[in-house]
Amino acid sequence: MTGMYASATREATSQLGQTELSAPSKTRSRRFRREGRAGYLFLAPSLLFFLIFLILPSFFAIFLSLSQWGGYDLTQIKFIGVENYSDILNFNSTFLSPILVNTLVFAAMSVVLAVAGSLLVAQCIERLKFQGFWRFLYFLPVVATVVAIGNVWKMMYQPSGLINGLLNALHINSIGFLSDPKIALPSVAVVQAWASIGAAVLILTAGIKSIDRTVYEAAEIDGANSWQTFWGITLPLLRPSLVFVFITQVIAGLQSFALIIVMTKDGGPVNSTNVAAFEMYQQAFKFGAWGTASAMAMVLFVIIFIITLIQLWVSRRSGDDD
Amino acid sequence: MAARNKRVRTPWFSYALVAIGGVVMALPFLDMLFSSFKGPGEYGVLPYHFLPEDFTWSNYSAAFDQLQLGRLFMNSVIVTVVVTVSVLITSAMAGYALAKLRFRGRDVIFRFILATMMLPPFLLLIPDFLIMVNWPLVGGNNILGQGGDGGMTTNIVSLMLPFLVSGFGIFLMRQFMVSVPNEMLEAARIDGAGEWRLFYNIVLPQAKPVAITLGLITFVGQWNDYIWTSLIASTNSDLMTLPVGIQLLQSFIDPNRTMPIVMAGIVISTIPVLIIFLFFQKYYVRGVMLSGMK
Repeated sequence: MTGMYASATREATSQLGQTELSAPSKTRSRRFRREGRAGYLFLAPSLLFFLIFLILPSFFAIFLSLSQWGGYDLTQIKFIGVENYSDILNFNSTFLSPILVNTLVFAAMSVVLAVAGSLLVAQCIERLKFQGFWRFLYFLPVVATVVAIGNVWKMMYQPSGLINGLLNALHINSIGFLSDPKIALPSVAVVQAWASIGAAVLILTAGIKSIDRTVYEAAEIDGANSWQTFWGITLPLLRPSLVFVFITQVIAGLQSFALIIVMTKDGGPVNSTNVAAFEMYQQAFKFGAWGTASAMAMVLFVIIFIITLIQLWVSRRSGDDD
Repeated sequence: MAARNKRVRTPWFSYALVAIGGVVMALPFLDMLFSSFKGPGEYGVLPYHFLPEDFTWSNYSAAFDQLQLGRLFMNSVIVTVVVTVSVLITSAMAGYALAKLRFRGRDVIFRFILATMMLPPFLLLIPDFLIMVNWPLVGGNNILGQGGDGGMTTNIVSLMLPFLVSGFGIFLMRQFMVSVPNEMLEAARIDGAGEWRLFYNIVLPQAKPVAITLGLITFVGQWNDYIWTSLIASTNSDLMTLPVGIQLLQSFIDPNRTMPIVMAGIVISTIPVLIIFLFFQKYYVRGVMLSGMK
């Protein structure tokens, strides 16, 4: 969701002020007043909502991250400055390592898998018959709930599940996908990539379709093979879509933890699948440490915000519609 | 040149790659479906069997019984429908104001709504939850929001509240409504139509396609919501929706066939979304392209 901010602002600023019309000056002020009243009325429900569920909570979150508080009694909140931050951001804290490291590794693995996979599929899919069917297949997980996805893969990863069944049939020993601390995080990252590949295929297919066919014809006349065409034409011209997919997937990967709750329950084995957003969730709702949890949320938010700004900058510079 | 373009080679490599990928995409769903029909002694044993050998419907009846699917289903429907309708109405109204009405502060408000889309949901999880617990005059709370036992979180309304308005929805509607011709609105204004009539009779009918897209995204997203709903419902099974109930009630079902029953529940909970997706694929796909979600 965050990813679309860039294109949104660009379009929006170019459209501002387009609705100005010249009305006869006599009736203008009355009309403006009428429109103004209607405008505020139409916006009132939404603005009230944002005040209660967005503006107020945002300031509350910042304040909480600077306080010490447990339970629900508002009179017990104690302001302690940056202590929560210094507690989680030092070299002895588990929040930096392994949790924040896990978060980055999880995001990186799922993004690389999803982008590489969707690029391959998007490149191949548009030459095939029954494109609708193929796209439907890849898109299925996008509409499934995380509970469905997580439980099915958890089942498939079990010693008696589908994947180890296949491995055993090939005379390979069973792998403890979710029980081996070294393998658990990549195992979940694969599922995250699997679940998000459909949306990426869609966006990349649209990107490939919008590339001018004559460029390919010219390349063919020059005798380029399909590999050269892919590296020399498709990839560079697809850059805006690729950047968009890449950044939105990174942002999603950094904050996703529903899959980890469903598949591992507690971020185990031994913290190996614990990520920042999940640790925040546990600190808050398992241990009631509102302050520590809020500071963790802020740190993760700052990381995601910086990535969003990078996307804004990249897509502004490329100037293309992504 | 034309002759060269007509030369059609069957792209075997592409077929193979997309098909292998397709199998990887489909297998989990097939495993889920087949496991839901496996008999008592068939799950969790070696060697693994893909197809159920002792085909049974009993997992489905057990799911209705032990997971109380009926009640979960009702909660899911109520929450999803209320949220979807609310998002559609508020987005259309706000979108219209931002696209077609001129008043002071409009552009600032629009920029603010764009900015709201930059806030990731996890950031508001804790404060929103605390606001619910301390909501004044609900669930035993006094006017200052103190003293109660759970406040708003004891009420199903708390599942819907944080989702009733969508910044993305407003943005989507506004971008679409900008393209409604001003001449049409001016003509109606000269005929004496009020702003509400303009909105309801002229702009809204034209916004139907974008409304369907927004409605679908909202419906599917809300139907599948896990984090917020599980947070509220974890201590109150009366408020559980389908995904949350299927996840959190697992420890209460027959331990010998937990997974087959869970799979049966998941199959049932996926059906409504799948039907909607099949019928409105075009609109849903457009929505995902616009938002890049998930």
